[in-house]
Amino acid sequence: MGLTRRDFLKRTAAAAAASYIGLRLPFDAPEEAMAADVDSWHIGSCRLCGVGCRVRLGVKDGRAVAIKGVPEARTSMGYLCMKGMLFYKLMGHPERLTTPLYRESKKDEFREISWEEALDIAADRFAKAVKEHGNDSVAYYGSGQALTEETYLFQKVMRAGLQTNNVEGNPRLCMASAVGGYLTSFGADEPIGSYADIEKATCFFIIGSNMAEAHPVIFRRVMRRKLDNRNSVTVINADPRISPTSRIADIHLMFEPGTDLAMLNAMAYVILDEGLADEKFIENYATFRIGKDKKEVTFEDYKEFLADYTPEKAAQICKGNITPEKIRKVARLFARSSATMSMWTMGINQRKRGVWANNMIHNLHILTGQLCKPGADSFSLTGQPNACGGVREGGGLCHILPGHRLVKKEKLRNQVEEAWGVPLGRIPPKPGYHTMAMFSAINQGKIKAIWINCTSPAQSLPNCDLYRKGMAREDCFMVVTDIFPTKTTELANLILPTAFHFEKTGVYGCTERRSQITRKAVDAPGKAMPEVWIVREWALKLAQKLQDPVIEKSVEPFKGLEPDYALPKAIWDEYTQKLTKGRDNDLRGATYEVLEKMADGVQWPAPTEEFALKGGTYKKFVRGIDPLADVHAKDDKPLQFYGPAHPDKKLWVWLRPHKGPEEMPDVQYPFYLSTGRIVDHWHTMSMTGRITELLRANPYAYVEINPSDAKALGIKPGDMVLVESRRGRNILPAKVYEGPVKGMVFVYWHDMDEDRMINRVTKDAYDPGSKEPEFKICACRIEKVSGPKPLKPYIVRM
Amino acid sequence: MAVDRKRRRFFKAVALLGLSGRLWSVGHEAEARPLFPSPVRTNRLRPPGAVPEELFPLRCVRCGRCVEVCPYGSIRPLDIRNGVFAGTPVIDVTKVPCWLCMKCVEVCPTGSLQKVSQQDVRMGMAIIDKHSCFTWKEEGLLCHTCYNVCPFKETAIKLQAMKPVVVEDKCTGCGLCVHACPVTRDDGEKAINVQPVYSFDAAGSGHEGR
Repeated sequence: MGLTRRDFLKRTAAAAAASYIGLRLPFDAPEEAMAADVDSWHIGSCRLCGVGCRVRLGVKDGRAVAIKGVPEARTSMGYLCMKGMLFYKLMGHPERLTTPLYRESKKDEFREISWEEALDIAADRFAKAVKEHGNDSVAYYGSGQALTEETYLFQKVMRAGLQTNNVEGNPRLCMASAVGGYLTSFGADEPIGSYADIEKATCFFIIGSNMAEAHPVIFRRVMRRKLDNRNSVTVINADPRISPTSRIADIHLMFEPGTDLAMLNAMAYVILDEGLADEKFIENYATFRIGKDKKEVTFEDYKEFLADYTPEKAAQICKGNITPEKIRKVARLFARSSATMSMWTMGINQRKRGVWANNMIHNLHILTGQLCKPGADSFSLTGQPNACGGVREGGGLCHILPGHRLVKKEKLRNQVEEAWGVPLGRIPPKPGYHTMAMFSAINQGKIKAIWINCTSPAQSLPNCDLYRKGMAREDCFMVVTDIFPTKTTELANLILPTAFHFEKTGVYGCTERRSQITRKAVDAPGKAMPEVWIVREWALKLAQKLQDPVIEKSVEPFKGLEPDYALPKAIWDEYTQKLTKGRDNDLRGATYEVLEKMADGVQWPAPTEEFALKGGTYKKFVRGIDPLADVHAKDDKPLQFYGPAHPDKKLWVWLRPHKGPEEMPDVQYPFYLSTGRIVDHWHTMSMTGRITELLRANPYAYVEINPSDAKALGIKPGDMVLVESRRGRNILPAKVYEGPVKGMVFVYWHDMDEDRMINRVTKDAYDPGSKEPEFKICACRIEKVSGPKPLKPYIVRM
Repeated sequence: MAVDRKRRRFFKAVALLGLSGRLWSVGHEAEARPLFPSPVRTNRLRPPGAVPEELFPLRCVRCGRCVEVCPYGSIRPLDIRNGVFAGTPVIDVTKVPCWLCMKCVEVCPTGSLQKVSQQDVRMGMAIIDKHSCFTWKEEGLLCHTCYNVCPFKETAIKLQAMKPVVVEDKCTGCGLCVHACPVTRDDGEKAINVQPVYSFDAAGSGHEGR
């Protein structure tokens, strides 16, 4: 349609008119009035993703009324995304759970009960399970969104009190492979560097991450860096789908799902083949390892191993837009840039070989020496606000104890037992069920009582229909602590209402080893209580019912403390002072007093208050920056890789073969199905789905289909499409879009509607190392079922 | 020309009066203003492919087929309160926006909705009110909702220095951005609104057909 002169004039006139309309002064006034209408501003962390933005919550007459960013914060610099700006609407939301609810049978209706009765029932059922079926018949399933104090206290009561390591949490579904990668490659969990490296990096390698939507505020920093230095900063995006992150990329590597392991090995091949490796760095700091027994091999062996991964061969495996020349080019950029920063999230972690994929990224950094210098880092982004702080550091998984200690090691167990003052040998030596095993055990009737806190596995587990059957069993007593009804509360026996963020006090630890405190600013609605109070009271009742003084001992130091501040503070003090001492996540300096003084918290290691007040450690392992690098120094080299997992104190380059996904497309199920996130929603949508502004932007999930696939199948935009795998089916509207690579479809996993809940379709295969499920890849078929239909958003209500 | 124009307007007025079955005082003011103010306004638009507003109520026979075929319920017929315009279709994008499925243009028997392709639809033009838009107004807010939901992202709307900017000659006026916009101003409008700029000419008087 040509633009006539007349059209042009019309439009200009209209635009001019509208911009005058925009100048209406009366509309500026209410905004300012609103800002002035706040009684007080309370600093804290954002409740949602793992970036760890600092926010100020505006309170008026005891109610949360606004949120604004904190410009002094080194994480977010005052920026906020829409989720972060609007989550205050969840405090005092009319659908909040406000009273304990109970039903004997999962078929009954819930009835309101008192806290006294609720805790009595919970203690009774857990005690009964332990007496009749043994200690491993009870379990705790937590969350990377629970406060550190909560996770810590839960796992303490489970381990020291109920003597089981059945302590898991949803971080198993999102960052377990990153933990595995960091431990096996660098010997210590969590990133070496910080967000501050973004402003110093000249090459970004973003793989398997749509950070523009999942971590918008960190993406802004990457984007700013790129836009300010268009010619000197390169952004490489590797993803089978063109996402909003790709729009700042200079090079987009688009391959078939699951083939990136071959590509990463081919990049290593090019780096060695073209002499781009930092030989000195390798000689000083690296060894080469292979296999389950971590056998040390030579550099020559590694070169020989890589001979199988020429760019030509890799390009054949990867397909998409991958050419040998492209792999070479990317490898050169990666190696030659003055500072390369890799970033990844679920595209790498949620894989059958997620740990290997993590190792391969680390390999590239070790080979090129792109580590421990300003701007260079192998940086895993974390999805949840406290997966790093609470769960990875606080002992929230079945195989780890607080302070990055392994359950398997007796010496480390004893350290914890001593710190807790419980008899040695109290913590069982065998790790508990990991997430998928835990829910399989429920299916098999092995778990008789489970406590699910702050998460909704009924929706978030892969192949969730299978595990919902187990959760619906009458012989599995389920306690759920949450703030809203979810798909999981629908299967619970006992629902306990909890206080939300800013309604209680505690610490969140974000992606970059940074711990930040959020103090209570408003009261929780109705009878909702902080989890720490719930656990303490429950443990005291358990101790009575099981006649076990050690259970009482596990909460002894916390008895009688008021739950809003004194109680979490006492828990934090015990954890940091007693359990992080001498560990790599030394948080002894990060006391509540220090954290409250800091706008943006403290990055560990921070052994003293004096050091913590300077912000802590920006980069680990570098002498002069990291205090522990000096403490653990074994020679006079500037870098000291003192991580607890590597006895030789070196970085390990792993020889990892290419391995595809568990389930490959075939004649019956010819498409790859991948799942992911969207900017306006968070996980199972129980929070963001209740914020009108966010729900309106994305009221329901859809399936993204490549235009060439859509054309071949006669699918038009908006048509209702069946997405079916060997496990389940969804019917979703189609978005025909040059996003996913040909042969792949993509669905957001937030939607609660049974027809659009994509985890009914995904596969529950998991990484044998990290036990993290392969949400990202399975085989499916798609078919048009009808033309467009009006759809309604769906949120679980009581 | 001028005479011809007046003549045409007269006939139209008579036709409209006939349709509404009502008498309307036709004074000399009518020359400056349309006889009946159009129901089309900000965020209330005619469906895709609509002929200019001057012709639309005359050509549309109020058959309701576009309303019927619209799978999303975006197109609604105007009710009796709209007098001569009752029965003609509009899309209130703040309620249900248009997903450009293009089914309505296929079924229109009169050509009131002309067959156009998705990207050529011009129901209006989205205009950002920089004084109420979160991202424009406040330093530090990263709302890109309008950008994220646009069916022609990067073509019809772009991010410049991380702030959304509408590309004027590509915007279809589908209103998905309006519907999704998290800001609702006190007057009920959003921080991005679709102005029906193609329905009227610059002076606000009639359009001279095709």
